[in-house]
Formats: sequence, C-alpha cells, structure tokens
Amino acid sequence: MLALLLAWLVPGAGHVYLGRNTRGVIIFLTIGATFWIGVAMGGVMTVDSRNERWWFIADMFTGVHGLVSWQRQDHVWNRLLNEDGQAQRLGQLDPAQQQALLDKKLSDAGLALVAPTDTVARAFAGVAGLLNMMCIFDAALLSLMGIRGEATDRVSQGRQGQ
Amino acid sequence: MNGWTLFYHPMTLDFYRLLWMLIPLCAFVAITYKTIRVENLRRLPLEILLLCVYLVLGLSGLGVGLYIVQRLWM
Repeated sequence: MLALLLAWLVPGAGHVYLGRNTRGVIIFLTIGATFWIGVAMGGVMTVDSRNERWWFIADMFTGVHGLVSWQRQDHVWNRLLNEDGQAQRLGQLDPAQQQALLDKKLSDAGLALVAPTDTVARAFAGVAGLLNMMCIFDAALLSLMGIRGEATDRVSQGRQGQ
Repeated sequence: MNGWTLFYHPMTLDFYRLLWMLIPLCAFVAITYKTIRVENLRRLPLEILLLCVYLVLGLSGLGVGLYIVQRLWM
C-alpha cells in the first residue's frame, strides 16, 4: 500500500522504495519531463479541472506534478474571476454566458490555450499521468508479490547464501 | 510577445512543427514502458531504441494511411 501511495505521489518513488533505484530515478525524470514539457507548451491552463475533465483525471496520476499544476491553474482562475468583482456578476449569468466571459478573460490575459497547441500540450501532460499509472500498478504488484530489488541482485544474494 | 513567461503562457506553435513532438512523446513512452518491463537493465537502451523506432514508424504509417483514406474517400 505504501509503495502504491509513494508511486502515485512522487513518480518513481514506489520503485525506489522497492529497491529498484535506477528504475525509480529513470521513471521520476521521464514522467517529470513529459509532464512539464506539456505544461511548458500549454502554459498554466494545460491542467484544466473545469473544461477538460478526462485529461484532468489523467494529469492527476502524476501525483505532485499534477497537484502543483492544479493549484496554479486554480489560483489563476480565481484571480481572473475575482477581478473587478466579476464573481458576483457571474452568479447572475447562465453557464454558457459564464463560460464565454471566462474564455474572454483568459484570452485577454494571454492564457487561452487554443488549437493546435492545446491538443499536444494536454497529450504530453495526460500521457505522463497514464505512464505513471502503469508505474503505480507495477510498483503495487511488485509489492504484493514481495519482490524487492533487481533480479540480478537477488541472484547474487542467493549465490552468496549457498 | 511582451511579458511572456514559460510554464505560464502557452507557446504559439504551428501544426507542422507540433507534429515533430511525436518523436519525444514516443521516446518518453518507450523509456517508461521499457524501464518497468525489461529484466536486465543492461539491455534497456537497446530495448528503448527499438520500441521508440517501432512507435514512431507505426504512428507515422497510421497517420499517412488515415491521411490517404481521408483524401481519397472523404
């Protein structure tokens, strides 16, 4: 259970916890690079909890990377909403009008993520999450099977024990 | 672009340049997948390279195929 939690929170940490340090470091660097390349292309609105639910769920599998990006996106969203008391005005609008107003504010702030960059940016960030999901399952399965360390280490330990 | 900040503002990239991003994406998928699958870490670079080539060629082929289908029948 701890391996699963660690693998989700910090990509690669589950493998390090299971004694697979090299693999853990490679996973940490690769997932981090994939996710942040996506955010570098798409900006702060790449992780969008309001309009891109499926990508958002995939993003959240990157653990700390996704959580930091979600917090940044939420902070920017709330700042835009609260400019000039807009939040109160938005309450009087229907959802379509609210969305149109928010889209305009994002566009004015230079933060609107538009095609074709949005697809590629969200694909990078989302694929990072899906790749980490695979690593989480791997760490959880290794933990359940009681496998620790590399196979080569276990063979050499077995030879020393004979 | 005045006041542009990395990780905050989106980049302006054209579609054809974005297509090249398929290569790093395939590389990252190959690295992660092979890192957890390969038995012996010494074989890791070769396995990653092979999978990356397969992915790039496969997806490029699929893209070209779908482009031809779309051009001819739609």
